Amino acid sequence: MRAYGFGAFALVLMSSVTLSAQAPAGTDFLRSTGKIYVVAAVCLVILAALFIYLIRLDRRLSNLEKRLPNE
Amino acid sequence: LAIVRSDEPGQPKRFGLSAWKWAAVVLLLYVFAAGWLVPLNPGITRVAPDRVTAGDTVELTVEGYNTLFQSGGADLRAWLRLTGDTVLQAYSVEAKDERMLSARFYVPSVFPGRQERYPLSLIIDQGARGISVLPNAVFAVPSDQPNPADMARWTTDHIGHLHKPSGWVFPFRNILAETIRNTYFHVPLWFGMILLFGLSAWHAYRYYRRGDREDDAWSVSYIQAGLLFGVLGLVTGMLWAKYTWNAYWSWDVKQNMAAIALLIYAGLMVLRGSVEDSLQRARLSAGYNLFAFALLIPLLFIIPRLTDSLHPGNGGNPALGGEDLDNRMRLVFYPAVIGFTLLGAWIAQLVYRIGKLARRT
Repeated sequence: MRAYGFGAFALVLMSSVTLSAQAPAGTDFLRSTGKIYVVAAVCLVILAALFIYLIRLDRRLSNLEKRLPNE
Repeated sequence: LAIVRSDEPGQPKRFGLSAWKWAAVVLLLYVFAAGWLVPLNPGITRVAPDRVTAGDTVELTVEGYNTLFQSGGADLRAWLRLTGDTVLQAYSVEAKDERMLSARFYVPSVFPGRQERYPLSLIIDQGARGISVLPNAVFAVPSDQPNPADMARWTTDHIGHLHKPSGWVFPFRNILAETIRNTYFHVPLWFGMILLFGLSAWHAYRYYRRGDREDDAWSVSYIQAGLLFGVLGLVTGMLWAKYTWNAYWSWDVKQNMAAIALLIYAGLMVLRGSVEDSLQRARLSAGYNLFAFALLIPLLFIIPRLTDSLHPGNGGNPALGGEDLDNRMRLVFYPAVIGFTLLGAWIAQLVYRIGKLARRT
């Protein structure tokens, strides 16, 4: 029963994936050129998050430096 | 581990940075370069029509990816494959341009075995770029007037002398296409997170054994870096899923369990923030940490394997093997795992050092 359910689910999902992969080819920027822009988006997300984290660390360090006595 | 902890003033450094941090820089530069620049195998992205009638000729228009149909030489061949050796060769293959070709087949009016629909895979081979396959490319509908003599056609065509792709290439997988490169960016984040949480749990255990506050400080630093990687892993996974599973969040067991695991660790940070007394905070968080790590293993590795999942490596899907990760991909994947883990340890160390400075002021 469960295997059937999953089979049907997988079939619906696969068909919707293939349909959507076929229908808007060229219109959907992220799906164009072999979906390479998905990889670009993933790398940009990683880079952006690392920079945001770095900026936060930098701010914490700046605050600490202000509190430290000057030598 | 001792290397990460010993990176204090006075340690040997090259150009102001210790060797393992340089290793992180070099490995990740290599991973981004190779992960982006190594080309993909050729593949088939579209076939029209996707339905053919048995006992009739059909002209298939095929769109390829990374192919050289026009300039790659005249040895362009195409087959429709039912199962095993049961194949039909195209009687004419004509390249329209580098990525488009039309292949003409005569589909026999009888098939070995009887089905309502016959799924046929399309195989295209050309010496210049090698073989590409699209499973279930077309479906054949049985003929109204089967001619038993057609059965002989199935045994005359054979697949032979296929060209393997040469040089350093990554596999072309249907639906995945270029996104197979995310294996070098999405997956190592999770490997890194698990290792960072593991280091954190080890320090929590050490805190229990020795009661050293430094262990508590290290433990929380690793959690912060691990949480950063975990959230990134989840977001990059959602992006990848949108263009392969067709939804950012499909309530897949792997996604759900990963989110729960992250919430447990986020809960640890909330717990730490709500306890005023630092000794009590350290003790509570060490205990919570060990339980959280003990939960991480079943949440990420056991439960998703027990049920159906879209995610590779779970619910019967293979991962880290076959064509999803072949030896040519491993040349990038393992450096990526090491590089991202070292980067995580670097971030954790910075968090620790800032925390240490904050305790002094």
